[in-house]
Formats: sequence, C-alpha cells, structure tokens
Amino acid sequence: MKNNFKTSILSLFTFLLSVGMYAQTVNGTVASEDGPLPGATVQVKGTDNGTSTDFDGNYSIEASSGDVLIVSFVGFATVEVTVGNQDQINVTLEMDSELEEIIVTGYRSQARGSITGSVATVEVADAIKVPVTNAAEILQGRVAGVTVVNNGQPGGAPIVRIRGYGTPNNNDPLFVIDGVQTTDAFVLNSINPNDIKDISVLKDGAAAIYGARASNGVILISTKTGKGTKGTKLSVDLSYGIQSAANLPTLLTAQQHGDMLWQSYANDGTPPSHIQYGSGSTPVVPNTIQGNTKGKTLNVNPNGTDWFDAIFDPAPVSNINVSLSNGSEDGNVYFSINHLKRDGIIIESGFERFGIRLNSDFNVTDNLRIGQTLNVSTEKERSHGSYTQEAMRMSPLIPLTATDGTYGGIYVTSNNLGNATSPFATHNRAADDYGKSTRIIGSVYAEIDITDNLSARTSINGSTRTFMNRVFDDYTPEGETNSGGALHEQVFNQYEWNWSTTVNWNKTIGDHAVDALLGYEAVKNYGKGHQMTRNQFLFDTTSFVLLSTGTGTPNVDYAYENWNTLVGSFVNASYSYKRKYLFTGSVRTDKTSRFSKDQQDDLFPSASLGWVIDKESFFNSSLINSLKLRVSYGEIGNQSLPAANPDVNISALSEGSAFYSFTGERGNVTTGAALTSVGNPNLTWETAVSRNIGLDFSMMDSKLAGSIDLFKNSTTDLIVRDNSVISTTAIDAGAPFVNKGEVENTGVDLQLNYGSETSSGLKYNFDFNVSSYKNEVVSLVNDTPAFGSNYREGAMTRTAVGYPISHFYGKPHDGLDSNGRLNFTDSNGDGIVNDSDRTIIGNPHPDFTFGFNTNLAYGNWDMSVFFNGSQGNDVYNWAKIFSEFPTFVHGGRTDAVLNSWTPQNTNTGQPALSMGVKNGETAPNSFFVEDGSFIRLKSLQLGYNFSSADLSSRGLGSVDSMRVYVSATNLFTITDYTGMDPEIAASDALTLGVDGGTYPAARIVSIGLNLNF
Amino acid sequence: MKKIYLILIALIGIMISCSEEFTDVDPIGSLSDTQLANPTGIDLLLTGAYSVLDAGRNGGIGNGWGRSADNWVADVASDDAHKGSTDGDQPDLYELELFNWQTGNGYFMARWEVLYAGVNRANAVINLIANSEDPSAFVVENAQARFLRGHYNFELKKLFGSVPNITEENAKNLDYNVANAGETLLTWADIEADFSHAMGNLPSVRTAAYSQAGRPLSSTAQAFLGKAQLFQSKWGEASANLEAVISTGIYGLHPSIVDNFRSETENGQEAMFAIQYSADDGQGFQGNATGALNYPAAFGWCCGFYQPTQDLVDAYQTENGLPMVDTFQASSALNHDYNIDSDAAFTVPSANVDPRLDFTVGRRGVDYNGYGLHAGKSWIRANFSDISGPYLPKKNIFQASDANNFMQGGWGQNLSGINYHIMRYADVLLMAAEAAVESGNLERGRTLVNQVRNRAKTMSWIADTNADIELYNAAWSSATDARKAVRFERRLELAMEGHRYFDLVRWGNMSSHMAAYIANESETITTFGKGQSFQDKHTYYPIPLSAIDLSGGKLVQNPGH
Repeated sequence: MKNNFKTSILSLFTFLLSVGMYAQTVNGTVASEDGPLPGATVQVKGTDNGTSTDFDGNYSIEASSGDVLIVSFVGFATVEVTVGNQDQINVTLEMDSELEEIIVTGYRSQARGSITGSVATVEVADAIKVPVTNAAEILQGRVAGVTVVNNGQPGGAPIVRIRGYGTPNNNDPLFVIDGVQTTDAFVLNSINPNDIKDISVLKDGAAAIYGARASNGVILISTKTGKGTKGTKLSVDLSYGIQSAANLPTLLTAQQHGDMLWQSYANDGTPPSHIQYGSGSTPVVPNTIQGNTKGKTLNVNPNGTDWFDAIFDPAPVSNINVSLSNGSEDGNVYFSINHLKRDGIIIESGFERFGIRLNSDFNVTDNLRIGQTLNVSTEKERSHGSYTQEAMRMSPLIPLTATDGTYGGIYVTSNNLGNATSPFATHNRAADDYGKSTRIIGSVYAEIDITDNLSARTSINGSTRTFMNRVFDDYTPEGETNSGGALHEQVFNQYEWNWSTTVNWNKTIGDHAVDALLGYEAVKNYGKGHQMTRNQFLFDTTSFVLLSTGTGTPNVDYAYENWNTLVGSFVNASYSYKRKYLFTGSVRTDKTSRFSKDQQDDLFPSASLGWVIDKESFFNSSLINSLKLRVSYGEIGNQSLPAANPDVNISALSEGSAFYSFTGERGNVTTGAALTSVGNPNLTWETAVSRNIGLDFSMMDSKLAGSIDLFKNSTTDLIVRDNSVISTTAIDAGAPFVNKGEVENTGVDLQLNYGSETSSGLKYNFDFNVSSYKNEVVSLVNDTPAFGSNYREGAMTRTAVGYPISHFYGKPHDGLDSNGRLNFTDSNGDGIVNDSDRTIIGNPHPDFTFGFNTNLAYGNWDMSVFFNGSQGNDVYNWAKIFSEFPTFVHGGRTDAVLNSWTPQNTNTGQPALSMGVKNGETAPNSFFVEDGSFIRLKSLQLGYNFSSADLSSRGLGSVDSMRVYVSATNLFTITDYTGMDPEIAASDALTLGVDGGTYPAARIVSIGLNLNF
Repeated sequence: MKKIYLILIALIGIMISCSEEFTDVDPIGSLSDTQLANPTGIDLLLTGAYSVLDAGRNGGIGNGWGRSADNWVADVASDDAHKGSTDGDQPDLYELELFNWQTGNGYFMARWEVLYAGVNRANAVINLIANSEDPSAFVVENAQARFLRGHYNFELKKLFGSVPNITEENAKNLDYNVANAGETLLTWADIEADFSHAMGNLPSVRTAAYSQAGRPLSSTAQAFLGKAQLFQSKWGEASANLEAVISTGIYGLHPSIVDNFRSETENGQEAMFAIQYSADDGQGFQGNATGALNYPAAFGWCCGFYQPTQDLVDAYQTENGLPMVDTFQASSALNHDYNIDSDAAFTVPSANVDPRLDFTVGRRGVDYNGYGLHAGKSWIRANFSDISGPYLPKKNIFQASDANNFMQGGWGQNLSGINYHIMRYADVLLMAAEAAVESGNLERGRTLVNQVRNRAKTMSWIADTNADIELYNAAWSSATDARKAVRFERRLELAMEGHRYFDLVRWGNMSSHMAAYIANESETITTFGKGQSFQDKHTYYPIPLSAIDLSGGKLVQNPGH
C-alpha cells in the first residue's frame, strides 16, 4: 500500500501513466460498441481488489478461478463475469438508459432517481462548447427557475436569482464550490468554466441543509477530478473572438441637433440664439467651436461626432485552456491552466484572468481517501464605469480632439455645448486604472470508510481574495470644471472558510434503503479593507502618480474590519421503500454571530416525499416511461443584511458628517461622532418557507423527458429597517433592523427535453425551459412603502404591500396634450394633477423567462442554437431624461426626438421639444416605462469533429479527438426596448429594472479548437 | 483505523466547545453607547451636533443640494435670486422658484431631514449629559446643545411652519414619529425655552477654555432669542433682548461689508454665529458643500447657480444717496446685459447706486471679487432663454486674494471656506431697529439703521461703482415710512445671505409683493414670466411628501398643498 501511495505521488508530479502493480492473472479489454473504454472499473466481487482500465481499455487483475469480476463504467450497465480458467476476458458494456445521473446535493451526492426535492442540473459540457468567460453564463437560460443577468462590463459580477426575489436585502444564492461556501457573486469570475464538472441548483426546501444562509437557494459547483480517465489525458481548448456592440441608439447629427434646438426655441416662442449655431432662421453648423475654448481650436465635423462610435470599438476575446488529468486506482489528479483576456467593447476596458487549478485525491488505504482542490487565479479588471450616458449627452459639435491633439470638450458651460465630460477622454484617461484581484479557493478533505455502511468525511474549505485598485481622476481642463487630480486606492482582503465534518451511514435491507448523514460545521467570514485618496499631483503621468507623490492632505475615505461566524449541526436522512416511496428529511441547527446572544440559535427543518408512480403495478402505459411525483417543504434562513453588528447602537467618527471646524481656519478640524445605526437586540433570521410540488416524467421511449415544479415560497420575518422608529424626524442614524414583513413568491418551473435520432443518423435534441414567478409583498413594517435608490429626481421604484418588490412608481400619463406636453392623468380623481397622483406605472418582474436550446449532430458535424428571453417585464429607461429631454439642453439627443410633437406632427407620443424641462416631465412618470421583453439568440455554433481515423491519416495519430467550431454569441435580440440593452443589472433589490445607461452585452463571433490527446 | 475515528470525534467535540466564543463577535472601529458615556464621548457627540450645521448628515433622502445649509434655496424662492444655470438643470429647483411646488420635491425633503438630524444630535448630547454621573459638570456643553437645538428648530419653524417637536424624551424613547399637531407641535415657546436656557448658562465672554469663535456666547443666545421674538412680533421683548446684546459692547461692524466674507476677518467683531466652513488641501469635508453649485461658469468653476435678480439690482438704485423705496421697480436705469453677448458692446449703466450693490451682485463690466471685470454672458451658464438673467452672486464667492478660503473638490466643485453668517451684528442692529420702529421708537430705529448705512458709506468701494449713499439724516415722518426704510435696509444689507424669504413671509402681504417682483423682473428678463404666482400656501414649504408617507400618516400636510 505504501508502495502504491508513493507511486501515486510520482504519477501526480510526472503526469505519467500509473501502471498497475499487481501480478497478472487475468487480462482483458473493456469496450463499448464505439471502442475501448478507458477508466472502467474492474473489481473482484466481495473483495477490495479492483482496478480500472487503461488508455486502451486494457486491464489486468489478480483473480482466481470462480471469482466474479464486476465491470462497471459510468453510463453503462454493470456486467458481472465469472472467471474460469481463461486468462483473457474481454467485456463489452452496453449503454444503460436506466442508469442514473449522480447529483451533488449538499454534503453528499444522490442518484437522480432518489431525489425528492427540486434540484436542477446543467449540461455543463454543452454550455461550455462556446466561449464562456463567467461561470454564471452556464446557468443563463438553461435552468428553469434560475435567472442570470450578465453584467456587460468585463469583470462585473453577474446577478443570479433563484425563483424571484424573496427579500429586500441580499438575494444572492449561496455558492458552494467544492465545499467552499460564499455569497460573493464575484467568486464566479475566478472560476475557469472549463474546470467545472457539475452544477446543481437547490431550488426548494432541499437547500435547508445549508440552514441559515440558504433561503435564496444554493448553487453547488464541483470541479473536475480526473476520475475515470485512465492514463494521462491532455486537453487543449483555444478560442478567439471579436466582440462588438449591438443595438446602440442613433444619435443626432450636428445639423439635426441644431434643428432640434431651433424647434425647441420655436416651441417656447423664444427667438433662437445660440453661441454655436448662430441666431438665424435656421441653425448653421459652425466650422469651429465658438466661445471661450481657453485658446484651443476645435474643428467641428460637419456631420457631428458620433460619440458611441468614439467609445465603442470591436474588441478581441481570447481564451486558452490546457488541462491534464489522470485517474487510477491509486487516486486521481486534474491540473489546468487558463488564460482569458477579454477586452471591453468600450475603449480601455477589459478583463484578464490567469488561473491554475490542481485537484487531486489519493486512495491512501482501501478505506481512506484524502484529497484537495486548489484554484489560484489572478484577475485584472480595467474599467472606469460605463460612460454611455455621457455619450448620449455630448453635443455632436464637439470633436474628439482639438487641433493640438488635446481632448475636445465644452471648456466652459456658457458655450452652449451642454455639460457632459467627453467619455472618449474619460475612458482614455482611465487606461491605466485597474482593479486587481488574487483569489485562492481550495479545500482539503479526508474520507474514511469505517465499515461497509459507515463512512466519515472531514473537510476544510476556504477562499481568500485580495483586491486592490487604482483610480486616478485625471485633470479635465476641457470639462465643465477644472476637476480632477485625485488618486483613489482601495485595498481589501476577505476570506471565508468552513470546516465540515459529516458521518454517513447507508444500508439496504431488502426493499428498505436508508441513507443518513450527520454533520457539524463551523464557518467564518472575514473582511478588512480601506480606501485612501490623495490629490494635487504636480504631474499627472501614470509613472508619477502614487499615493506618496500627491501634495494634498491624504485622506482615509473608509476603513473597516469585521467578521461573522456560524456553527451548525445537521442531520439528513433518506429512506426509500422499493425505490418507489421516497422520503428525505433534514434538520439543521445554526448558531450565528450576527445576532445578539438570545437570538443566535435556530432550527431549520425540511422534509420531502417522492412517489415513483411508474413502479406501481397499476401503472401500465406504453406512452409514459417514467413518472415521479415529488413534494417538499423546508424552512430556510437568511442572515444577510447590510450591517455588521445590527444588534447594538453604533456611533462612528466621520469626517464628512460629524467633524467640525470650530475656528473656521483652514485645515483646523475637531473630531466628532454621531450615531450611525440603532441596534435591535431582538433581531433574528429571515425565514423562508419553501413549498414545492413537482412531477418528473419521460415518455415516448424516453425521447421526451421533463419536469414541472410548482412552488410557493414565503419569506417571513423580513429583515427591514423600521423607519417608524427612525422616521424622517429622527436622528440621522440608520433605523434599526427588525423582523417585520413578508414576501411571497409563487411560480412554476418547466423543463422539457426531446431528443432522438433519425434513420439517416441526424441526432437532435431540443431543450426548453420556462419559469415564471409572481412576487408579492404581503406585509411590511407598518405597511409603509419603501423606496429604491434615488436618481436625479428621486426614486422611481417603490415596494409596497400587495405589489411585487420594487415596482415603478410615478405619475401616469395618457399621451400628449394639445401643446405636446405629457398629459398626466388625475389617477386619484381629486381634480388636481400633482404628486398625489403617483401610482404603480410598471413592473420590472417578467411574466416568464425562457430558454430554448437545439443541439444537432450529423456525422462529424454538430450545431447548436440557443435562445433565451424574458417576457412581460418593464424597464424604466431613465437615461432618456438626458437623451430625449432638455435636462442639459445643449447636450446630445438620440434620434427619438426627431418624432417629437410639433403643431404639424401631432400623431406622436414623443413630447414637444423645449429649452427647459416643462411640466416636471423628467420626474418619475410612465413615459419612461418601456416593455423590456426580449428574445435573444444567445448562441449559435457550428462544430466539426475530426474522427480518429481522419486524424491518423493526417499524421495526428496522437490526437484522440479534435473539434473546430465557429460560434456567435448575442447575435441578435428581438425587443421593443429603445435603450441599449433590455437586460438590466439592478443595483439592489429595491431598485429593479432602472436603466441609467448600461454597459451593453457584446456580440461575439469566435472560432475555437478543442484538442484531446 | 479506530484511532482516526476517535480523533474525528474529539475534533467535533473541540469544535462544539469552542462555539460559544466563536460566535461572539464585537464591532471593530465603532463606538458603542458605553464607550461614549464619559466627557470625551460628550465632546464627540456635541461636535457631531455642530457638524450638522453644514448639512452634512449620514445617509438621507431627497436632493442633496436641497440641504442648502446657507438657505440659498430660500433666496431663490424670494425676490433676491434666480436658480441659475439652464432651466432643465435641477428641475426641482425650477419648480421651487416658479412656485410650482410639488410636495414630493426632493429639496424639501433634504432640508427637513437634515434639520431633524441636528435637533436629535443635540438631543443625544442632552440625554448623555442627563444620564452622566454628574450632569452639573457639563453645564456649558448642555447649554450649547440646547442652543443648537433651538437653532435647528427655528429653521424648521421658519421653513415648514407646523412641525413636530422632538424633545430629548422622544429621542430617549426612540419615539420620533409624532404628529405635527396638538401637544407635539413645535411652538415658539419651545424655541424660546432653548435659547433662554442657553443664554443663562453659556459663558458671556471668550476665555481660554471657551475660545473658539464657532461656539455661541450667552449674548449670541440672547440675540437668537430676540430674533425668535421678532418672528412673533413680540416687539418689546425682542427689542429688550437685542438692545441688551448691543450694549454688551462685544460686537461691532467691520470696516467693510466684505470683511465678513474673508478668511482673516470672518470671525471678527461682526460675527455672531456662523457655520464655520473651512477649506483644506485634502477632501474639503468642512467646506460649503451644499453651496457647491453656486459659482460662475468661468475659471473652471461649477455650476452657474444662484444668480441675483434684476429686481435686487434695481433695489440698489439711490436718489440723493437714499434708496428708492417706493419707486425702484419703476426705474430701469440699471437694466443690464441680458440678451447681450460678451462680444457685443456694452456700457456699464451710470445710474447712482448703493455701494453695497457691487459687494452683493456681480455685474458685467465691474470687478468680480478680484478676478477681473465680469465678462457678461460668457461667465453665465444660463442662456437668454432661461429664467436666470445676467448676474452673478458675490458674497459666497471667495475673493481672489483669499487663498485660505479657496478649494476645489474631486469633480471640480468649489468647497469654499467662507463662513455662512447665520447671524451677524449688522443683522442684530437691523432687527433691533425694526423692533424699535414697531414699538414706536422711530428715532432709535433710525440711529441703528444709520449705523449700518454709515459702514456702507465709509467703506472702500469697488472701483467703477457710481456710489451714492447717505444716511437718513432727517427723522422719519411716519411709522409707515420708518417701517419701509428699515425693511428696505435689511434687503440691501443682507441680500443673498439666506434671510430674505423669511423676512417677506414675516412681513405679510407676500402675494402682492411677489406679484410686483415677478412683473418687474419679467420686464427685463423677458423669459422669467411663466405665469407663476405666489399663493398663501407658499408661506411655508409643504411637509415633504416622503415624510408624510414614511410617518404612516402621523404628519399632516400644511394647508393648501
């Protein structure tokens, strides 16, 4: 055994094939109808003596006459062969249509057939056939009940929601990556999608095993281990693509812009007079910018500057992935390196990741396994936000650069050029800004079989991230103000670890099968960070600017250190009778540091039942092959809240809001403090009660399979700030968090799959999923509505009892009045149109979201077409207050204003132009609410697989398989939405669907190559 | 193998036994109530209570500019100032200036919240002292907190009328959500009580231990008490208190009005109580952030808001050195460069003016705080089609020679260190004059008014000002004339200092007054007339809609809104 262990170590580091060390008595080959099967298991029945097949499907095992060999391989029916006196036994395995998928369900795996909760899995292999930069993209559109909104900005965190919005607080699911538990969605940026083996999503009470942190659902990600690969496998994936922007609004040309202003003057009855366009009867586009330009000459492009064209550029994305894996009876190893470089379609932005993964496990003895996973990645994000709104607001007269090569700009606000700062300048100046992150995610575990039925496992799983960024607000001499010259540097470190120990017992006695798990876990999350700012730099070159080279007083903008801890113990037991009646129950008790002593403990139970109807004797259908009914119930907690210590009063020293200069002398400041948050010692978890009823079925010779789930999730004891305690007449502290309020999500998830093959050999597979939820706030603190983030004219989202979380709230309008102004309606019927007429004017929650995936394979060719979409959601297109209204009158506009109301053009919904905002029209109102429904061709790809014969004939005999493909991502989007992208990444749960100028999703056309050696 | 199993069990045992401590996590870097219960804590919270004078509060909803610590927004609602910039910029403010007040306007909410933050930070100090071992050791701290609470409540009362009175008892019991009616309505008596207490317990002179100019003296509190009485037309009491302040001899007028707005002298003899703004070479947290929009669109400054009106300029016309109290709106001798581009010819009007005009209003062709001659349109962000006219503010703008008050923040906003005088001595003199006149003592009123006029007459004037100013050398012929003269003098002296709106409300007849202003203004700035009119409901800001919403209906709206 020791010998074997050494061999394993050797094989790990040399990546050489580990050769079996047993004496040979029986040899043979294990194959399927397609050829040899490497990695199949051959075991002598009733002993620990086992091996697996090599690269060519060969095995050799010590066995005596009369022994029974068990030959098995995932996906194939197990075969038993009795050894006679022959020394050569070849076995051909057959595909097992009944064979069940093994699904990771939290602290353990279960066969699909024994699952009673709502657990979804993803065909990862399918999803990563196209270039995927973020693991969340794998989930997008492919799993019923899971919505993913990608952040178009490279390196941004995607927003993943399971079955709607259960809380006004954090709705992020719990991610469990090889046992590492985190709610930090940025973690998905650090994972190489090619390393992922399985993803499962716990959507219902099944998540209760994760207790206090799982009410938003759990996403379990396992990475590849090398198991099942006999011999060393080398796999290389290369892809290269070009990204470009799609669906950008059209901006006015210079002449159109002048005409727009002239129409505005005319509508206002004011004689036109404009520094740039003159004061004639028609605007004249000047050759150069007029007015005070601080000595610069700015030549006007006769057509005007297209500011979108200026900041959007096609950008490459490249991905290199090399992995090595090796599996043997001594253990498994998987090693990969990955480099992803994705430039942004907005100039001077991008994301780059370099990652290394090493996963290994060792069979130390027959009953002791030790293993680890380790992922080290470093990411560099270059972004300076998204200045698309500025691009819409820039006057088309301003050129990109002045004649001396410096940036074009307004120079002074009195030049009638609006007030936006050139996004071309902003992005270019930010070229040297970055955010860099290094993350280590890893786990070690030991697993021991104590008896045949009893095993124990302990693991320590952790993740640590170090982040630093640099943002230099450069001097902008051409802007509205002489701003800039401030360097901001942020640093933080965070880690989270858990130590989990479980004991597993399973036994089958006759028709009764029991599988029980007892576990104990300790969790710690920690964060510490700060940001510093310094200004007044003598030179603004990147090579000069450091925190130490400014001359202004350095400022610590913020600093924090906090952590929270949790210990949990849990039991989970499954029982099945004849594999027909299934029961799973779990109870978890958690103790958390997040609340005060008396409120730290709680119990989270769940139970689920399954009935495999097709196994009943009465079931006799030629149409339906399998049918299973599932019912589940679970209580799950949520302890995420935006405060570190919500149970006690906290006062803070704050330069901005509590210090005071009693003498008024420059720089002479006295330290002060103020209450910043009021504590509530009675605060405890939000509890989500999850109910699910589901049906799994397959029919038509299992060609059509699917599942449908109906659910009702009620989150009670919502953690919300009680603004009746800290009202608007109170001290300026955050109101205490209290457990009041309830949100209910009801809905349905449907997943259908139809796959078959024609007689001519065309394999086809259609996968369709649709999810729908209805979200309703059942109660709130004092039933008082809460509002979302404030924009320029206040908040346009409100959360109130009887409505979904975050709906659009403002004045409704009904077309235009006789002057072309928005005709606000008297919705409360009091005869006066004012702020009291504000009402619900839109709903950002979709009626349903869907995905439709088609896979085709014919001969060496394969093709897939994948659509996803959303139906019935509204978007508040706030950016229009700049691009269609005179918020900054001389700024740019989109071509939407060409259809504005004029006395001659009255058949329009676009309000009349004017030189100032009239009628309060930019305040929240229904004009800005648009239908955000869309269907997007998410990906389209065509691949060609070279056969091994073909490869051999081309002198590539060492290549096992090779696939080349072309693919297109986000090829087109069908939508009525007029903004850049109907997929809106919300800033928080109370501010859904507000578009303030997004970073639109890129269209990507790429080519790729997969090689397996 | 058994061993490993035992180790495993032992480990679980250790984990369980650790859990009590493991889940005990205290906050780091923040102050608990216990940490504050000492003299240092009292000082920290008291400083925090002063800190809200500049309207920098934690969090908050509503439009940040509406916090308007120096009440510039109230000037925009009066006849002294326009909002400035282009009409579409800050539509909430546009609505405010045109008396198209929606109760959801973010400016109202921002101001409301920040004033209550002040009231309750003061309450926190009062409670901390009351619960300390020896409250008598903190008499002066307590008096400062009472003074500050009086001030914040005074502002609330001036702006919103019927507001709830949040006492230290309310604060202690977290009982902040109370009605703005009945027993919990804030009364003038509540405000007077705070000022009286402060007056009785604050030091009467500066000492080494109480030297900082930002802290009120006993006489400061008395002046505020007098002002509160003035607002109630309690002329006798107001007069007594204000005269008492004058007779302390602590205060006097600076040689020049501009000394109030320069860093070396802003805390001099004329200072009564000011928001102590200070600039620095860092982030400018103590600078005037809520006035950051109010700089000319020249010199790389931002953002062209807060422009004086033509009506205000007209008011500075003089005849025989005296203001044209009844006729200034009829004269257009000072019509200026509205509708004239910078490159078009322009001659500064030659009419005689009160020299304070050019310390208050930036006019084309006249020196602008040492930055050269005001260039006209090219320094104005507003267009001719906007409602804001051709003038620039001056008192809130640093003098070119005063580097100590100058600073620019991260996006180019000016965070000036110029103090905002909530009350300065000239104001005390004019309030005393008004109280005297209303009490029938016209001569005392004239003496006091002349003190203020004399400073204007004797100070160095801005070059190119056709200054023509005399004292009221003859006795006023009637109480009516005296009243007009005193009131007019307040405008001339204190224009663009955030007082005008409240004075107009106090004096009544505001709708006819504002109608005259709107008519006069629209004659010159033709785009200003939008059919707006002041109605009775505009006497007070509405209770902010969000405050009513969030109170669950405990707060009731002011009449008319």
